Amino acid sequence: MSALLEVRNLTTRIQTRRGVLTIVDDVSFSLEEGECFGLVGESGSGKSMICRSILRLPPTSPALMSGRIAFEGQDLLALPDREMTRLCGRRIAMVVQDAIAALNPVLPVGRQIAEAMLEHGVAANRRDARARVLALMRKVGIPAPERRIDDYPHEFSGGMCQRVVIAAALACAPRLLLADEPTTALDVTIQDQILKLLGELQQEMRLAVLLVTHDMGVVAQSCRRVAVMYAGRIVELAETAALFDQPLHPYSAGLLSCVPSVDGAAEEATRLRPIPGGPPDIADPPEGCRFHPRCPLAIGACQSGAFPLFEVRPGRFTACIRHEELARAGNIWAEPMPAARAPEAAEAAE
Amino acid sequence: MRRSTRGWHMSEVRAAAAAALPGQRVPEMLGPRFLPGGAFVRRLGRRGTLIAGGGMLAAILLASVFAAQITPYDPIAQNLRNTLQPPGLAHPFGTDNFGRDVFSRVLHAARTDIQIGFFCVLFPWLLGSLLGAVAGYLGGLVDTVVMRTVDTFMAFPFLIMAIGVIAVLGPGVTSMYVALTLSGWSMYARIVRAEVLVARRSDYVLAARAMGYSDARIVLRHILPNVVTPTIIFAVTSMVLVILATVTLSFLGLGLPPPTPTWGTMIAEGRNFIFTAWWMVTLPGLAIVVTGLALSLLGDGVADLLRGESSR
Amino acid sequence: MSAAATLIEVEQLSKVYAPAGAFLKRLTGGARQRLTAVDDVSLSIRAGEILSLVGESGSGKTTLGRALLRLVEPSAGRILFRGEDLRSFAPSRMRAARRHLQMIFQDPYSALNPRMTVRQTLAEAMRVHAIHPAEEIDDRVVELLETVGLNAGQADRFPRDFSGGQRQRIGIARALSVRPAFIVADEPVSAVDVSIQAQILNLLLDLRERFDLTMLFIAHDLSVVRYVSTRVGVMYLGRIVELAPRQAIFAAPRHPYTQGLLRAAPRPDPGRRSTTVAITGEPPSALDPPSGCHFRTRCPMATALCAEARPALAEIAPDHLVACHHHAAAMAAWTGAAAPHH
Repeated sequence: MSALLEVRNLTTRIQTRRGVLTIVDDVSFSLEEGECFGLVGESGSGKSMICRSILRLPPTSPALMSGRIAFEGQDLLALPDREMTRLCGRRIAMVVQDAIAALNPVLPVGRQIAEAMLEHGVAANRRDARARVLALMRKVGIPAPERRIDDYPHEFSGGMCQRVVIAAALACAPRLLLADEPTTALDVTIQDQILKLLGELQQEMRLAVLLVTHDMGVVAQSCRRVAVMYAGRIVELAETAALFDQPLHPYSAGLLSCVPSVDGAAEEATRLRPIPGGPPDIADPPEGCRFHPRCPLAIGACQSGAFPLFEVRPGRFTACIRHEELARAGNIWAEPMPAARAPEAAEAAE
Repeated sequence: MRRSTRGWHMSEVRAAAAAALPGQRVPEMLGPRFLPGGAFVRRLGRRGTLIAGGGMLAAILLASVFAAQITPYDPIAQNLRNTLQPPGLAHPFGTDNFGRDVFSRVLHAARTDIQIGFFCVLFPWLLGSLLGAVAGYLGGLVDTVVMRTVDTFMAFPFLIMAIGVIAVLGPGVTSMYVALTLSGWSMYARIVRAEVLVARRSDYVLAARAMGYSDARIVLRHILPNVVTPTIIFAVTSMVLVILATVTLSFLGLGLPPPTPTWGTMIAEGRNFIFTAWWMVTLPGLAIVVTGLALSLLGDGVADLLRGESSR
Repeated sequence: MSAAATLIEVEQLSKVYAPAGAFLKRLTGGARQRLTAVDDVSLSIRAGEILSLVGESGSGKTTLGRALLRLVEPSAGRILFRGEDLRSFAPSRMRAARRHLQMIFQDPYSALNPRMTVRQTLAEAMRVHAIHPAEEIDDRVVELLETVGLNAGQADRFPRDFSGGQRQRIGIARALSVRPAFIVADEPVSAVDVSIQAQILNLLLDLRERFDLTMLFIAHDLSVVRYVSTRVGVMYLGRIVELAPRQAIFAAPRHPYTQGLLRAAPRPDPGRRSTTVAITGEPPSALDPPSGCHFRTRCPMATALCAEARPALAEIAPDHLVACHHHAAAMAAWTGAAAPHH
């Protein structure tokens, strides 16, 4: 089966006051039909810009995109604007972080969900659209849709707004959904609901989802494959289970070990070993491997040259030339046992 | 491109991209287009208004300060044998109906008018900002009282108020200051109050309260420096209007008494001679236009500068 | 029972807001509108501990943190700091007392005065409270910056020259500059990247050690809470529903809401995926909360009793308080069902 979305050597640069910034640098990955693919990274990693690049959404500064983005075989970057607008919303849809801001505050939600349907000719007329909207609202879990279809966005809570936005995105039954941090702004119990909803819809509608997030937990729960991004580049790409089991890039390993966990034996006091330093300046990134100033495994060879992704095993890609040492060393970020922590208050009780 | 692209312009990047990917389609540029001419023109444009306005104003100020050196004529010296001379070598702006040199009068008037303009922006700015800050920070009754006072002053037509003040205090510099300050302060109060209402809720003000700082310290040291930017922009751009207001008052005879030259009085005096001695009216008018233009450009430039700085 | 002294005792603290337009709505015959952000909360904070308050938006945890410092005036209740009620302090005495009760804010981008350099921000606090003689202040500023892991050479820069994580460190330095006894940390790591988050958390733990601080740590992320806390309090719609030592909360939560929160947290473990939703439904409106137990509309164990009577926060195990009529059943369900951990 050929991939639904195939991104090859995508580079996106934008013009700012400080000069030209390369936000996405030579990124390549592909997405199968019906698959949930995660893009994980911190701020400045370029993950959000990838979604905007796929849809060729006009950014606020002049942008330059090169490479190839093949969707169902067609190169999106080569399409004329009119063809692109026909694709947007119909075959590819996007859901963003701040749902309330994504909705027009002066239009009822029913109209906003129906808009794409009417625009792309999926619904025959207003009445048909309304019926479809009600069905969609039910599908995304909005209770009593008949009563709420004419409500305005401000009358919905954050989680409900996100459901409305998802309904609008799915109005024309797209094949690809770009979800740019859809749950970051939501409470954890609502996040749980929305992620499970996306999972169900994905199954039911054979929907491929590109899920952009900064939360490793979300990736672990929702994505089959994941790409880790750092400073505009993909540094590791693998199946989620394999990556969490054994990361093959020091940054992925670092992300995994600097996140505290809810589980585990409560007595253990392993100190989190944070990744030292901070993310690089996009205008002036380090030479060679961009992570090398912060990497405990860095050697001289890491400071210059190109570090493209290469395939270690079928389906496992990494950009680190020292991945074998990494695999052998176990957890390079673990500190040997507990740094001093003050005694627990209740321990004396036992 | 692996090199740092700091400071590059997009056209340079596009050329480099085309060179690096020979034979492939040169990528399209999306988003707003820039004017041709490249980076230099753009950088100049940003500061252009500031430089132009500042330069013009500096020239005018210098000319007015060194008026005595630039022209040998006394602005109030009459020469009844030399009245209504057109502009020529001896008198570049001609003479008026009393034989006074118009150029010299224009320069001396610049001093007076710009000085009044400056102070009649400074005093309202000080008064309005302070009252607005207090109203915004304290809220409640103080806020209501100050704001209703603002409303009252704003409701007064400017000329009526000016006439009233001058009727009470008599014509002269002081009454000009009072009249213009009374009519001008209310806008600053509104602007500052609105900004303070927002700033009051911000985390750094809350942190200042958490530090145990007194209200006075918080308002003066923490809030005001952060809300002053829109007022500066407003002040510089309103200097033009203030000067026009002084011109209007002078024209109506409410300004400084003769023979002190001000542009407004010069135009007033010259209106009977428009057809015979156009230079008496037109040239002071031109001076007003040029000064107004300089201040507008300066105001725009300052606004751009301050807004650019305050964005992170 | 822990023998540690109680630093702060909160007794029946409440904060009620009347939303804008409430007066008009009442005139036109609407119901009385009140938003109870903090509903009759009592707890004690022991010297040297880190007590975490966990909850989602609308739980009142931020309001409680601010009300504790009287940055928001409580509507009712007492706040005993070293035995004295803060609410009885006159404004000048309260201002002086603030040096012992500091706060760290969530958003590093708005918590620092953009027009003051780092040095000015830190020095001002020391000067106003006369912590050090004037000649020493510059040295102390340098010391503080190094303590929080910043380069002292940057003391004369403005906040805009620093990254989010660095600004957060400056905020911490500011709180420390007056040598407080107690710090309320209001979601200090929610707005920074994950890799910086760990740095800040470690810093807070180290500082607590070094300066013998007591902290109230407000957060919504349970994994962060598990890393730093001594005790954990869970809040829902203005009330504390469970309060227990860290180990007890995570190993044996007894309130259905706590259990739901634990189940809902996404774990970085692909091997353990679940398809069932942890807690269904939406949080109720704070203006018109359900009668009795606020959580009953989303609780799998709710009965008629839950609608009639508000459950009191009671000690059901040593140092473990729960506000639930059916905590025993909840406990059984937790240990019985495949609990997500162990």
